[in-house]
Amino acid sequence: MEFDFGPVASNWRYLALGLGMTMSLSLLTAIAATLFGTALALLRVYGPQPLKPAIAFYVDSIRAMPVLVVLVWTYFAFPLIAGLSLPPFWAALVALSLHASAYMSEIARAGITSVRSGQMRAGLALGMSRAAVIRRIILPQATVRILPSYGSMLAIIVKDSAVASVIAVPEYLYRSTTISAQTYRPIEVFTVAIVLYFLIIFPLTRGVDLIYRRVAKLGRS
Amino acid sequence: MTFDWSVLWASLPALLDGARTTVLLTVLTMAVSIPGGILIMLLRVAPNRTLNAIGTVYVEVARNIPLILLAFWVYYVLPLLLDLRLPPFWAGLLSLSLIISAYNAETFRAGVNSIRRGQSDAALALGMSRAQVMRKIILPQAGRRVLPILANTWVSLFKDTSLVSVIGVHELAFTALQIRTTTFRVLEILTAMAVIYWAMGYPQAKLVDWLHRKYGVVE
Amino acid sequence: MSEAQATPIRPKSEGREPIVVYDRVVKRFGSFTALNGVVAQVFPGEVVCLIGPSGSGKSTLLRCTNKLETIDEGAVIFDGMPLPAEESLARVVRRRMGMVFQSFELFPHMTAIGNVMSGPMTVLGTSAGQAREEGMALLAKVGLEHKAESYPGELSGGQQQRVAIARALAMKPEVMLFDEPTSALDPETVGEVLAVMRKLAEEGMTMVVVTHEMSFANRVGDWVIVFDHGRVVEEGPPGQIFGNPIEKRTQDFLSHIGWSM
Repeated sequence: MEFDFGPVASNWRYLALGLGMTMSLSLLTAIAATLFGTALALLRVYGPQPLKPAIAFYVDSIRAMPVLVVLVWTYFAFPLIAGLSLPPFWAALVALSLHASAYMSEIARAGITSVRSGQMRAGLALGMSRAAVIRRIILPQATVRILPSYGSMLAIIVKDSAVASVIAVPEYLYRSTTISAQTYRPIEVFTVAIVLYFLIIFPLTRGVDLIYRRVAKLGRS
Repeated sequence: MTFDWSVLWASLPALLDGARTTVLLTVLTMAVSIPGGILIMLLRVAPNRTLNAIGTVYVEVARNIPLILLAFWVYYVLPLLLDLRLPPFWAGLLSLSLIISAYNAETFRAGVNSIRRGQSDAALALGMSRAQVMRKIILPQAGRRVLPILANTWVSLFKDTSLVSVIGVHELAFTALQIRTTTFRVLEILTAMAVIYWAMGYPQAKLVDWLHRKYGVVE
Repeated sequence: MSEAQATPIRPKSEGREPIVVYDRVVKRFGSFTALNGVVAQVFPGEVVCLIGPSGSGKSTLLRCTNKLETIDEGAVIFDGMPLPAEESLARVVRRRMGMVFQSFELFPHMTAIGNVMSGPMTVLGTSAGQAREEGMALLAKVGLEHKAESYPGELSGGQQQRVAIARALAMKPEVMLFDEPTSALDPETVGEVLAVMRKLAEEGMTMVVVTHEMSFANRVGDWVIVFDHGRVVEEGPPGQIFGNPIEKRTQDFLSHIGWSM
């Protein structure tokens, strides 16, 4: 068996663009999921009563469905109802963000509720408003506590970005399949892809763990 | 815009057939990945440094690459390396099992590590061998702690089976996407697919939450 | 007085070979030396109590006795033979010693009788029927036959420790090792465990007891060994150690814990 990395090397520019697309899709998803997920968690814990079960139902429903299903529905089915067409990248961003934000909200909720209720009472006793206690006392502690789960979520976001290849978003996996089909060198193309994804995802989780170990003491109360 | 929901009645048998494959794939993968996970965990806790390194590298690689990519690799690359043809179903089962085994290995390792050292001391002091200590004392206790995490993995696995549709495994997602191209009833079919996944996944997610409340260890 | 210092009387050693000998035992944990050349003996039928400040090495010595810890220098000799290096042979020696832990370490997924039966059935291949019969007799001996079907989580600390003693006895050991058996107990349940241990001593069981219960060591012990910084500071009959200690460090230790002579 001979290996020939020539097809990978000669198409490096094309693949590098895919890598850039994978990174930007992941980054935007992470930002959207962090913001939307945290908002959902805050509403579920501190929000008005009728909203809580609705959010719980939404989050559990999204958690119950495969990311692929959310993705193909958003890309193929949603435009038919809405009467507009979504380019693949934006459909992927919306679907991946919806999916990831459900996880983010669960992570954030676990972090918020793990802060002892005495912290809220102590903050109120100092004369702070509820919002101020949440912002200045509860959330900082929760942020530290959820770091390990947050790291795993970031890893999942990068992994799920590869699913966008199903709707032809030209990210790294999609471009790999194209080159593999054109050159008949799946061994080299897909093996390089495995190494590259590993090199992105592994340091990501490790890095977050490392940060967590340095700041863990700030989250204890 | 008009929707034709009657197409569902015609497609329902095929969709349910796909759903059956989804469930079968989930069950078979877990059946492979529990012994597989134990095997890899034993590698990771082995005193031999080579075995240990193999176990660690395996687990880290499997947990840090996209499943969909591994499915491509197993379906397109592995047959070239091993000179054998893998039908899609078996390639899908293999890719899922390779990844889930790694997750299970970590789950089992955490479960075993959570048992106090005194427990194995007490069993050793009675004259038990290391293997007996593992089998009679550590594993039964670790089982209770492992169960909720295993249930989590189960739900993720159930959803991840949809990803092997990319190599042509005739499970629910693949079936739905295929019917979509032949009937052109995109919205109806994809919505039906989503509803079927939801109807199967939602109770599972609730069951997992319940298991966590019942057995979950508060750290 | 000076004669008493030279050779304290050790009645149970007369004309007998020691069953356990610690010969210049050294044990290190990294850069910390836990045992620094310990020399001591245990004779058959004796109750030997190891006392001393926390971290002085007495528990470590006990764990070296049945090779739960390996030693770095010297030798632990049991019944005339150094403890074997090989794990499968060490297991044969461990069967001949029973051990009771500070934190009980009952197996939480087994009932009380299940715990007592676990050793004989797993290690000796005893049949379930016989193991149960013998186990019930042992539970009766520690006064807990009515708790046979209870799980450890349903028992008080004192009850758990008595089950743990029965579990160790089920292997018909020649020596019983006790590692601070009452330190984790509520004060009101300490007595019931000490009573079981005392009964065992009266039956002639050879016992090595690491303990902070000075009155137990004084009344039940045949021989008391005082530890400090991984060494034996002083040893002798309880009358000497608790009534008239020779070494300054023994006196300091006893007065520190509030023992009045």
